[in-house]
Amino acid sequence: MAKWGMIIDLDKCVGCQACSLACKSENNVPHGSPHEWKRHQDLYWHKVIAVTEGEYPTVNTQIIPMPCMHCEHPPCVNVCPAKATYQRGDGIVMQNFRRCIGCRYCIIACPYGSRNFNFKDQADEEYDRPDLPPDLDLSYVGHIGPWPYPRRTRGVVEKCTYCFHRIDQALEKGVDIGSPDGVVPACVEACPAEARFFGDLDDPESEVSRLLATRNSFKLREEMSTHPKTIYLPR
Amino acid sequence: MQLSFTPIKGTSRKYKVLVAVLAVLALTGIVAYMVSYLEGLRLWGINNSVSWGQLITVDIFFIGLSAGSLVVSSLVYVFGQERYKPIGRMAVFMGLLLMIGAMVCVLTDLGRPEKMWRLFMYGYLSNMKSMFAVNGIFYAGYIGLLVAYLAAALANSKLTKVIAPVAVLWAILVHMGTGAIFGFIETRGIMYSPLKPVEFISAAFASGLALVMLLSYVTLKLGKRPISKDMYVSLGRMLIVLIIVLVVLVVTDKLTHFYPPARESVLFLTQGPWSWIFWGMQVTLGYVIPLIILCHPKWGKTVKGIMIACLICVIGIFGERMGIIFPGLSQPLQYYPGEIEGVWGVRGGFPIMPAETLMTVGIFSLLGLMYVLGLKFLQLLPTAGSEGTADEGSEATAEQKALAAEGGTT
Ligand code: SF4
Ligand code: SF4
Repeated sequence: MAKWGMIIDLDKCVGCQACSLACKSENNVPHGSPHEWKRHQDLYWHKVIAVTEGEYPTVNTQIIPMPCMHCEHPPCVNVCPAKATYQRGDGIVMQNFRRCIGCRYCIIACPYGSRNFNFKDQADEEYDRPDLPPDLDLSYVGHIGPWPYPRRTRGVVEKCTYCFHRIDQALEKGVDIGSPDGVVPACVEACPAEARFFGDLDDPESEVSRLLATRNSFKLREEMSTHPKTIYLPR
Repeated sequence: MQLSFTPIKGTSRKYKVLVAVLAVLALTGIVAYMVSYLEGLRLWGINNSVSWGQLITVDIFFIGLSAGSLVVSSLVYVFGQERYKPIGRMAVFMGLLLMIGAMVCVLTDLGRPEKMWRLFMYGYLSNMKSMFAVNGIFYAGYIGLLVAYLAAALANSKLTKVIAPVAVLWAILVHMGTGAIFGFIETRGIMYSPLKPVEFISAAFASGLALVMLLSYVTLKLGKRPISKDMYVSLGRMLIVLIIVLVVLVVTDKLTHFYPPARESVLFLTQGPWSWIFWGMQVTLGYVIPLIILCHPKWGKTVKGIMIACLICVIGIFGERMGIIFPGLSQPLQYYPGEIEGVWGVRGGFPIMPAETLMTVGIFSLLGLMYVLGLKFLQLLPTAGSEGTADEGSEATAEQKALAAEGGTT
């Protein structure tokens, strides 16, 4: 089985945040108000952080886009009491909104701040798409639609899914995943600098494996031994 | 020695006023909860960095007090120390009430409380690797045991001798499990420690003993029941030992995490913006002042001095619980070495929000209400020479003090 992974080339990243926006629109993530932003109550499946080292004139700012790391050993899956977050066979760490009881233990355990709690009901009408099937249970035949999250449930935790709906759809149709004209997650597709790559880490022929073999790479917070599958190429 | 127990009459005006006030506060809490359930938890102070708030703090505080009360009762029912018998039943009753309060806290804290049954599926639909789910077993069993224990103690049944040791051991499990919820999380430096479970028990014993001493004294006094000074003095001496054990554990823990190069979390706890919780509440109120009073040659021998020490100690241990949640969660996560700019790098804030605070007050009042009613309808208090009508005015004061401490949290 494939093992999906993402590679972000920090040398190419220009910090434009197109990935964050693409994620919001693809996955129907609510936009928060400035008030919620200040209170840290809005949702971000993907964030871009800026890390500064040193002081002017010897200063260096590093822009790091951060989706969920889809850890090989995810602490969030360990602590979830309700089996609401789990790892699929292809390595994607999923979140089942129907099972989640909203205890927020996983937010506390995740070392990358990838998880968000949904604090309120969806207010905007444009997001309300009752015509699309609601949840992410893959056994549900009517499931595949462009947006897997037509309506939000308040009181549960949400996170990045590597756009699993695109991947599953592509697998079903037999479309190539990860190649330049194949299917990729929304953030990879949106990146104007072509800094992001997606593909099968187990397949030695894939673009991601080729990059890992030829370039130096690192993962965030390796000391936590979570073995992220979102991997960075340094500047 | 055969002690007999009788309930209070509960007909005085003050008693009725107290019941009414507590009931109104509890109702307010319920309304606040209903509103926040309908509106979503954005009404609370919690956010995506400090994602556990007031209710979880109160929850672990209550669980600790509950385990501690049980240990006091074990002096009577396990070790057969007859001189502590007057407060034995009260201790069991408090243990049960506090545990119920703790459960109310956890379950109302969930984002989707209607799915709480998932916590209690014991491996079938729950993940037994999660300390939360493991604690589901502990908590459910504990409440069952406590009900049996209280019933046996009230009936003066022989079974008490069997149930008591099991209940006390189970209480220790409950508490270690609760400590493990925090101690096993490597992501949060302030929580992560193999000593956490032990430290939790030790804090539980100290605070539970202090609370039982305080509440039983106030109840006996206002119920005009006989008070044995010797009993409190010897319990006071026990409290000294328990606090010292706790201090040793906390110092070991913090020193261990202070020693290696990666010491940010201890520095954040002791010198960061929340350091007033650690130094002001946990150390000063929890350990130093009670120890000074209790060890003082004069104050430590008077019931009044001991009671003040108990009150301060209970508030201090509440600070210790706050010191796990608030600094522990608001310490920014270091995704990448360097200074993270903007909102992702700042420490999490925790505003006081009315709905959450009203719920906290409501839960405290609910417990007070159940306690006061229990005094009237259950045979908890030793019989007095002259049956006086009781008013529990200052019992509420203790509650209010604890609440004031809570208010300072945020
Ligand atoms: S980054 Fe966080 S949410 Fe994603 S798999 Fe790892 S622990 Fe879970
Ligand atoms: S909030 Fe939901 S996903 Fe997270 S640990 Fe609790 S039940 Fe699991």
